[in-house]
Amino acid sequence: MKKLLLVILALLAGSVFAQDKPLTVGVIYIGTANDYGYNRAMKDGVEAMKKALPAVSVLEAENVPETAESERIMSAMISKGAKLIMATSFGHQEFANSLARSNPGVTFVHAGGWMIRDNFGTFFGATQTAWYALGVAAGHMSKAGKAGFVAGVPIGYVVGNINAFQLGARSVNPKFVTRVVVTGGWSDKVKEAAAANALIDQGADVLTMHVDSPATVIQIAENRGIYSIGFQSVEARALAPKGWITGLGFNWAPYMTRTAQEVMAGTFKGKMVREGLKEQMLVLAPFGDAVPQPVRDAVNATAAKIADGFTPFKGPIKDNTGAYALREGEAMTNADMGKFDWYAEGIVGRVR
Amino acid sequence: MTWTLVAATLAASVAAGTSLLYAALGETLGERAGIINLGVEGVMLVGAACACAVASSTGSPYLGMLAGAVAGVVASAPFAYAVVDRAANQLASGLSLLFLGFGASALIGNPFVGALIPPLPSVSLRMPLGEGAAAVRVDFLVAAALPLAGLVAWLLMGTRWGLRLRAVGENPVAAFAAGCNRRRLQYEALAIAGMLSGLAGAHVALGVAYTWAEFMTGGRGFIAIALVMFARWNAWWAVAGALLFGAAEAAQLQLQAGGVDVSPFLMNMAPYLLTLALLPFTGKAGRLAAPAALGRPYRGVE
Repeated sequence: MKKLLLVILALLAGSVFAQDKPLTVGVIYIGTANDYGYNRAMKDGVEAMKKALPAVSVLEAENVPETAESERIMSAMISKGAKLIMATSFGHQEFANSLARSNPGVTFVHAGGWMIRDNFGTFFGATQTAWYALGVAAGHMSKAGKAGFVAGVPIGYVVGNINAFQLGARSVNPKFVTRVVVTGGWSDKVKEAAAANALIDQGADVLTMHVDSPATVIQIAENRGIYSIGFQSVEARALAPKGWITGLGFNWAPYMTRTAQEVMAGTFKGKMVREGLKEQMLVLAPFGDAVPQPVRDAVNATAAKIADGFTPFKGPIKDNTGAYALREGEAMTNADMGKFDWYAEGIVGRVR
Repeated sequence: MTWTLVAATLAASVAAGTSLLYAALGETLGERAGIINLGVEGVMLVGAACACAVASSTGSPYLGMLAGAVAGVVASAPFAYAVVDRAANQLASGLSLLFLGFGASALIGNPFVGALIPPLPSVSLRMPLGEGAAAVRVDFLVAAALPLAGLVAWLLMGTRWGLRLRAVGENPVAAFAAGCNRRRLQYEALAIAGMLSGLAGAHVALGVAYTWAEFMTGGRGFIAIALVMFARWNAWWAVAGALLFGAAEAAQLQLQAGGVDVSPFLMNMAPYLLTLALLPFTGKAGRLAAPAALGRPYRGVE
């Protein structure tokens, strides 16, 4: 009888401890984690997850290239006991996926891809619709009605961001013009600087960008006394105390925390997760001091509208050659966001 | 409109051309002494990283600039030892230096990614053309660029030191027989070259980008090497070449901003097409102008 009681007690204790069974999470970054950009946002998410879940310990590796090297680093993390791997750059996908196949006991999540298996999920922010709110901010703040957009490489997702920005700006100012300069790389700082200057020379009084780190473009805008809007990490505000309007940042903490909890509870199932302002995977950065209250209200209202399901990509929309890109009744959904090959009316630039 | 574009392009070509000129002037000295260094890009990156690190830590961009110069010399030292004292293959040693520079700069710069970097103070000189807001931003390194080119030209062509240096680059055995200290001259040339490459990187970081990012020099070290050949190992021609390449790069970005209807991908190729298009025409004359012993390890006795 006594023995039985002990066994039951032990089982109970076991199950209680099982609840708090420690989980080791391995995270790989493509770059350095404090870049005021993409990697910084990922790192902030990981830190918040660690804080929320004391049972989680984290192994991290920065500057992991999108090559077979990443597979070796992830393998090493698994052999050190990692049961959840977060591969945070697009090109890590196939390597994480091949490891997921050979390690069914380990869960993988990957940022921005499409592959899915039972132990392999994909996550990303639905940035395109959210950029509309930044366009509204630019439309209100720009006196000249001209914005400049420094883009790394004009892939469909980037073009979608630019289009939403322009559509948002035009919703405020029907004559708004956005000029786009493509630098051809995600981190060529000399070209980003020259592009930012060129856009200001052409009369833009708001600059924004889609490159790895917004630091150069924002600082040039600040030095030349014009407004800037950031993207990737909301912390970039520190670079432009005078001209900062707002920005769009990733907030990975809720998703990462939820995923770690699911893995610990054994309920994880790989799926495609694309969330936006509504689920707070994307957040607007704090407004700069220069932004008056009515503008803040308008931008916040737009963000709330987007969170409620509003999409700017609903016909009729004309492209910048005057042809209809979307006709009345046509719309683009979240799954189409990589397919943009046209610029909306009022954008100066060419996709190809 | 057109003049505005021209003015803005000229202004931007100064910013983009300055780092090219520093690196090209350094490489000119080295090559005149018979040593080709393919690692310029790596040295520039180390200079940029150290400039950011020191400028950010001390708050002084000028200290950062000095750090870039010193770092350039230090980073070039192993290369200099290998090719001057050990007669190692210059191409292989240069490539090793390149990759060493990639790694070292990433390591040094890592804590300073995203750090606030105080930029080099500058004055804006408004372009006298067009109606745009285009202005040349003149900082210390921009202001010093032309005098520096003059100094390098004078050192090479107007001093006994330059004469000896060129003799070593043309025919080290004869130079030795004439009493030149080859080893010392080559070390001196490579030290100055390292310093100038480091300053080139410092200008990218503190004068143009105001931040540190890995590989931020974007291949400019290689363009500088091409420039040296294009400029026929002449310091004044290097100024023209640096401005021309800077203008090609600036023009394509200005044209995009101005809304010219050409593919951005095509325009991004323009500066490199220009380089490729110009090099064949410098080829024949270039071969005559090239230091005769360029790239050859010294096998004589000392």
